[in-house]
Amino acid sequence: MKITVRVLGRYKDLTGAEHIALDVGQDRTLRAVVNTFVQQYSAAAKDTKNMIVLKNKKYSSFDTSFTTNDEITLVPPVVSGG
Amino acid sequence: MKLHRYQRQMLLKELGMRGQQSLSTKHAVVIGSGGLGSHSASILARMGVGYLTLVDDDTVDITNLHRTAVFSEKDVGKPKARILQQKLRNVNRDCEVRAVKRKVTKATILPLVQNADIIVDGTDSLPLRFLINDTAVKQNIPWVYAGVQGTIGMVMGIVPNTTPCLACVSQMISQQTMRTLPVLGSLPGIIASLQCNEIIKILLGKPPAGLLIVDGWRPCCDCIDVQKNPVCPVCGGVTIRKSRQRIH
Repeated sequence: MKITVRVLGRYKDLTGAEHIALDVGQDRTLRAVVNTFVQQYSAAAKDTKNMIVLKNKKYSSFDTSFTTNDEITLVPPVVSGG
Repeated sequence: MKLHRYQRQMLLKELGMRGQQSLSTKHAVVIGSGGLGSHSASILARMGVGYLTLVDDDTVDITNLHRTAVFSEKDVGKPKARILQQKLRNVNRDCEVRAVKRKVTKATILPLVQNADIIVDGTDSLPLRFLINDTAVKQNIPWVYAGVQGTIGMVMGIVPNTTPCLACVSQMISQQTMRTLPVLGSLPGIIASLQCNEIIKILLGKPPAGLLIVDGWRPCCDCIDVQKNPVCPVCGGVTIRKSRQRIH
């Protein structure tokens, strides 16, 4: 299944765009979206566990399912420096 | 209080004289007096917040100076909170500033924040931010998260019972922490300014903006309208006291 995902923060630099197309296969959980994203953009692989995934603007666990009507946003983990 | 110094700020419909007078009664506890905390404390003192408590157990290091406008070379080796207190007294004598040289832990945080109208995040550690989040939610005290790393900064105003908390957008904490994170020197000033805007809004009873993500290099800013996580381990499904608990 091909979906369009919005990316924010440094992921925009990584992908060169705010909206990107991902082919997530048959798995319709957000985990598949994250896994596909980090496979395609390996620099984000270190973020896998801590990535903020929003489904329709709501923080969602990786096990959450989605449909093509849902707005999915990937946000880099909250930053920790001060 | 001499209101004249705030003349230009009081012209704003967002504040006015009433808002300015209200700020003078507010108490902000700033946890961390480094790159972010020193900038934020300075801005809050200048904008007219009446009471500031500065908490930091560290001393000024030469490697701090590239990202703060407050400390100078002669401050190196001296306690951050105490030096910041001295500088802010010269900035605004109407602002009552208290300095506390203490490490913030689970055992020490409550007495430090219990009389705060708002907690200001100037820390450099995610576990400490989650401790602040947990305490703030339980005690029903608003707080404003801010973080910087590389060229990216994030800000999020958190009002218990009303907005999502930090754990609503980040439930997992990385166990791996880099000892020295890269930070663009100009970034803490940008992020502290945005953090202070959220602080002032919350203190005046206005809703915060959501999760702000700023790239200081490109530059660009995203504002995410996040919603509460119903299964959040900190604030999800929990009935939080409507009135603040004061411990004497």
